[in-house]
Amino acid sequence: MTARALVIAVCAAVLVAATPVRGQDQPVFLASADAATVIRALLTAPTLVDYEGTKILTALRGQRAETVTILESYKRSGKLRLEFLSPESASGRLIVDDGASSWHYEPSRHIVMRGPSFVTAQPAVDPAAILSRYDAMVLGNEQVIGRQTVVLSLQPRGGGLVKRLWVDQATGVVLRTEERDPSGELLFSSLFSRISYSLNLPSALFRFHLPAGARIFSFYVSGDPITDPQELSRQAKFALRAPIVLAGLRFRSGTVARHGALTAVTAQYTDGVGVVSVFQTPASRMAMPEVGATVALRGMQGRWLDLGYFRILMWQSGGVSFAAIGTLPLHTLVTIAEELNAAAR
Amino acid sequence: MTHARVQRQLSALLDNELTADEAQELRAHLETCARCREELERLQGLKRLLGAVQDRTPPAQLWDDLWRRVDAPAPGTVAGLLETIRAAFRRPALATAAAAVVLMLVAFPLVRGRIDRLRAAEIGPDLFVREHALAAATDPFADRAYLGLLVSDVNLVLIGERRERGEELR
Repeated sequence: MTARALVIAVCAAVLVAATPVRGQDQPVFLASADAATVIRALLTAPTLVDYEGTKILTALRGQRAETVTILESYKRSGKLRLEFLSPESASGRLIVDDGASSWHYEPSRHIVMRGPSFVTAQPAVDPAAILSRYDAMVLGNEQVIGRQTVVLSLQPRGGGLVKRLWVDQATGVVLRTEERDPSGELLFSSLFSRISYSLNLPSALFRFHLPAGARIFSFYVSGDPITDPQELSRQAKFALRAPIVLAGLRFRSGTVARHGALTAVTAQYTDGVGVVSVFQTPASRMAMPEVGATVALRGMQGRWLDLGYFRILMWQSGGVSFAAIGTLPLHTLVTIAEELNAAAR
Repeated sequence: MTHARVQRQLSALLDNELTADEAQELRAHLETCARCREELERLQGLKRLLGAVQDRTPPAQLWDDLWRRVDAPAPGTVAGLLETIRAAFRRPALATAAAAVVLMLVAFPLVRGRIDRLRAAEIGPDLFVREHALAAATDPFADRAYLGLLVSDVNLVLIGERRERGEELR
């Protein structure tokens, strides 16, 4: 090896060592990026970065704020391991999602619940769709746990939760989030109190090992997704209301969910980013749930259940029990109810 | 020759159905046995009495009626069932039991349907939260860890395990 080649090799090694870890992709530096660039970076991060860290979640449930501490490990693309540290009632709970199935182990009951994956490595979301639905704005740069982040604000144009995201400038991983209702009340927050990036977390970490003697419950309650509303109506076997467009949202897919005595047909609608689910089941097979507060709809009464992160509006019309659930404000869910009731008339 | 055997043969003797040897043997026994002679006299009296009874001629249409019933088609399933039910109701205990079974067969689906409807209302919101949390995984801004927590919490409720953190949907 010549001296010149040696110098080049040493320089290359120094350059690689100095490069912030971002999977096998080139690093991004978002310090002076616009909102669209930041959004693109955070959308692609799950396909590029492995990490493990300690995350603190705080969610408002009814009148009570609940704080949960979790060891979160993520492996690209779409593998997740969650170990719950607190509160005590959830301590020791383990969730392993290998991208195809999720396994929940509850140590206090020594049971395992198996169901479909809830991790999507690369959401099929177009950054342009986000920009058309939200007023996106970069508020500046801040440090979170010693890492430089860019602060992104997302205000939904149709109303709903206002999001603020602290995006790691080097990796695109969201290190901190806040979601507030339009009145400014904080409904949900998350914060990594520690994070380590890795080029390649071991695959064994994302394989679930069944504890000896644990009881297993299978929770594959939903059928395959159906993308044709007419086919969904055929499978429902009752007069389903599944318009293509509902309150400005487009039909995405539907399923038939069955658990015990309840069979419900779900139709999911999206604005290109978020999702609203509308559940329908014949009223002869499901009474009106006695939960939440009474709310007046046009010509009828419904029930409104505010779970903080999710909100549910339930009502009965034309012999069908309905429930609409999402992170949308009440008035949007009421619009959904009125449009569905009008479709029946 | 035993008395039992003699008494079985007395009727045959009166009807001249014994062989010559059997008849001779029986008569020899009768000469020495007063008890069997007495039995023979009783049978002779009975035979005389039956012989005095006059034959009665059956009604002329009896055979016609019999053949008509023989040739008639078998009763249908419903008619047969009704006949069986009628027969059952002639016995009060059986009728009561049958009525109880019918009542249970009718009432059970109604009661069960009502229980299922109430149970569906009870688990409905939990199932909706679960299914929506899974659907919301495609939302790039949804927190995966929180979705996982929601799904596992609701799964515990759906398998009948109580929440401990006072998280009932109220």
